[in-house]
Amino acid sequence: IKRVLCVAEKNDAAKGISEIMSNGRFRRREGMSKFNKIYEFEYHLLGQNVTVAMTSVSGHLLALEFKAPFQKWHSCNPVILFDAEVEKYCPDNMVQIKRTLEKEVKQCQLLVIWTDCDREGENIGFEIIDVCKAVKSNIQVLRAKFSEITPNSIRRACSTLTEPDSNVSDAVDVRQELDLRIGASFTRFQTLRLQKIFPESLANQLISYGSCQFPTLGFVVERFKAIQSFIPEDVLQVSVLHEVEEDTVEFSWKRNRLFNHTACLVLYQICMENPIATVTSVTSKPKSKWRPLPLDTVELEKLASRKLKISAKETMKIAEKLYTQGFISYPRTETNIFPKTLALGSLVEEQTQSSVWGTFAQRVLDQPGGPSPRQGKKSDQAHPPIHPTRHSSSLQGNEGRLYEFIVRHFLACVSQDALGQETVVDVDIAQEKFSASGLMIIARNYLDVYPYDRWSTKVIPVYEQGSQFQPTAIEMVDGQTSPPQLLTEADLIALMEKHGIGTDATHAHIETIKSRMYVGLTSDQRFLPGELGMGLVEGYNSMGYEMSKPNLRAELEADLKLVSEGRKDKRSVLGHHIQKYKTVFIESVQKAKKLDEALSPYLGAAQEITEEQQQDM
Amino acid sequence: MAPEFQTVVHNTQTWLRSSWHIQVPFTWLEACVEWLQEEAGGAGRLSQQQINQQAFDQWLLADLRDLDFPVLPEGIAQARKIELNGTYCVQVDSLLDISQPAYSQLQKLRGTDCANDEVSAVTQATQRPWEAKPSRMLLLQVTDGVQSLEAMEYQSIPALSTALRPGVKLQLNGNMVCRLGMLLLGPSNVKVLGGEVEDLVVRNNQGRVMCRTLGLPEAEEEVSPAPQQGV
Ligand SMILES: [Mg+2]
Repeated sequence: IKRVLCVAEKNDAAKGISEIMSNGRFRRREGMSKFNKIYEFEYHLLGQNVTVAMTSVSGHLLALEFKAPFQKWHSCNPVILFDAEVEKYCPDNMVQIKRTLEKEVKQCQLLVIWTDCDREGENIGFEIIDVCKAVKSNIQVLRAKFSEITPNSIRRACSTLTEPDSNVSDAVDVRQELDLRIGASFTRFQTLRLQKIFPESLANQLISYGSCQFPTLGFVVERFKAIQSFIPEDVLQVSVLHEVEEDTVEFSWKRNRLFNHTACLVLYQICMENPIATVTSVTSKPKSKWRPLPLDTVELEKLASRKLKISAKETMKIAEKLYTQGFISYPRTETNIFPKTLALGSLVEEQTQSSVWGTFAQRVLDQPGGPSPRQGKKSDQAHPPIHPTRHSSSLQGNEGRLYEFIVRHFLACVSQDALGQETVVDVDIAQEKFSASGLMIIARNYLDVYPYDRWSTKVIPVYEQGSQFQPTAIEMVDGQTSPPQLLTEADLIALMEKHGIGTDATHAHIETIKSRMYVGLTSDQRFLPGELGMGLVEGYNSMGYEMSKPNLRAELEADLKLVSEGRKDKRSVLGHHIQKYKTVFIESVQKAKKLDEALSPYLGAAQEITEEQQQDM
Repeated sequence: MAPEFQTVVHNTQTWLRSSWHIQVPFTWLEACVEWLQEEAGGAGRLSQQQINQQAFDQWLLADLRDLDFPVLPEGIAQARKIELNGTYCVQVDSLLDISQPAYSQLQKLRGTDCANDEVSAVTQATQRPWEAKPSRMLLLQVTDGVQSLEAMEYQSIPALSTALRPGVKLQLNGNMVCRLGMLLLGPSNVKVLGGEVEDLVVRNNQGRVMCRTLGLPEAEEEVSPAPQQGV
């Protein structure tokens, strides 16, 4: 082997990896795509001195489409799309990249895939392999495995090159094909029909359907309806206040609350007839507030959305950039356990340079036993939890804020829980029981570096067991029950995770429902379903297939995981799910009137259409 | 024949009072015993003991309003505070747990409660220790047939449950306080005798009681199948 072609997923990554492998001494050449440069340098690989040409793609190189006869919207009955032939092709904007690869590989004896180490990356790897093998069938192919673009990680990858994993790539092929068939058939069906039925509101509207997008929309509608149908009720409580010098202690009722006025009034009167409180017990016990778990992708998206008000989509865009620049580890991971092999000490040490959290990082190094991560339970066996790999103090804007969050979260999770002492005072007034508590914080520990969590001291005066006092006030307080709130993006991500959908590209589905007439955002960034979204979900629900429920999609995603692990066969999984959705599709078409019915309260009277027109669709 | 019949009825009346503290009007019991004997195929077919037991069963299924025989102290529902000491057999017209919103109870009953409503992004919700789950508090509408009042589960009473059939008979016993028409009950005050009242079972099933509380139209809520009769 004299010459090696290396291909990364993005130009940034190719550049970063080249910088590390060449110690900054690469030669840069132009490729045919102006965004994807070629970096050339000498390297010692597989025991030989070789010349490396490192270049990149821009994500997926190929796309999946129906063969020409089926591409036009009116070309066929949409049901045909479940079985019509599909093919991979190179989209126009990728053609120059493909040409670069074809040209470069001809002079090489070895191809090394450096795409991101996740499902999509593996599949992109196989697209590169297919393109290269088409012009040079005998090329040897290897795969580099890495989680960070840092010297250690890249050198380790070079010395442990392996085979690309076709199972993982297969899972992506299956997903792509299912998304195409299901999405195209339902989208064409509902768009063509509803444009005719509601010409005034939908004439030029694309009404897209996706098997993950719709359950996501379903959650938003479900919550909205839960709020609409909610009935508030009056609720009553007995509350006891005790003023001791400066402090007011509020005792809460052990019965918590009652939903009947007379019942509460009776108990209140009993207390008022004999309003002396007797302290029945005073207990004091240590209480800790746990440091956060190591960060996985879903948690990053949720926390960034809640604490930094950065959307999931934006968060992942920034995180990818931080990763390709070598600041953080790979941000797509389901793991929240740090592997034993990861040298946490040096990662923490790196952060001691910071003028902001450097002192805290030093404290972590000095704590007994050094960095000690709180461990979660999930591992994808591919990537460690998201952590900083390099210190930076120059990042600006949201990039800077997200980087700071990742660093602080990392330092927090390897430091120590916050410690406190909680005191609980139980009292009895005429046999009704009340309780108050105080909290003394003994050691803030992780809280010192993690401003996103709050824990505050609550002062409670000293009470002695057996002693009595006269409360300052005993009151009957009334209130009302309130409905749940509209979903935030973070809630939606939590729901999707709970139901096992959208693990791959969670945010994408949230963006697709946002960008159509399906949902809008309230001023406090909560999801409110639009009329079209409401009507579609109600329509499909009334058909009884629960198309807007996550079950079908969750089964699909669970099967994809089995394909990627080599435990299920690609063909059979594909066949199974095509059949399932096809059955649902055929029945949906038969009951299509239900969609019209559900939508007409929102969009006005349905336009009558003839049998013939219906055939036409 | 006639004096003998009177004796049988009288014996039953005494038995009901001494064994169960149940008081019934003599005329009602007469009609009841007569009917029982007819059903059995004539006087003399049933032993006194059988008549006693069957009369008790009939009482369990009767609507005490039809007996029109007061046993609770007069004016009890209007008193600000009154203490009772004795044994009173009453009927429960309906019951509801007032420690929880009727709305969420209705959703649970209809199977329309949605676990997703509780999902939020907050991963570490810390519950304050003294905000333990509130314990159930049943509120019962009771009547002795003449006076109606409410009774609350002041202390937890394991013998009661929302599965009790509307019209079920209770024996209330011991020291009890009644305030603002609300009887305060503890476990030592209550013995469930059993029974039900047919039309209350329909009219006051859990679903309907909740709907009424919420001001919703009372849909035809399912009535669960009748359990075994008697104690
Ligand atoms: Mg990627």
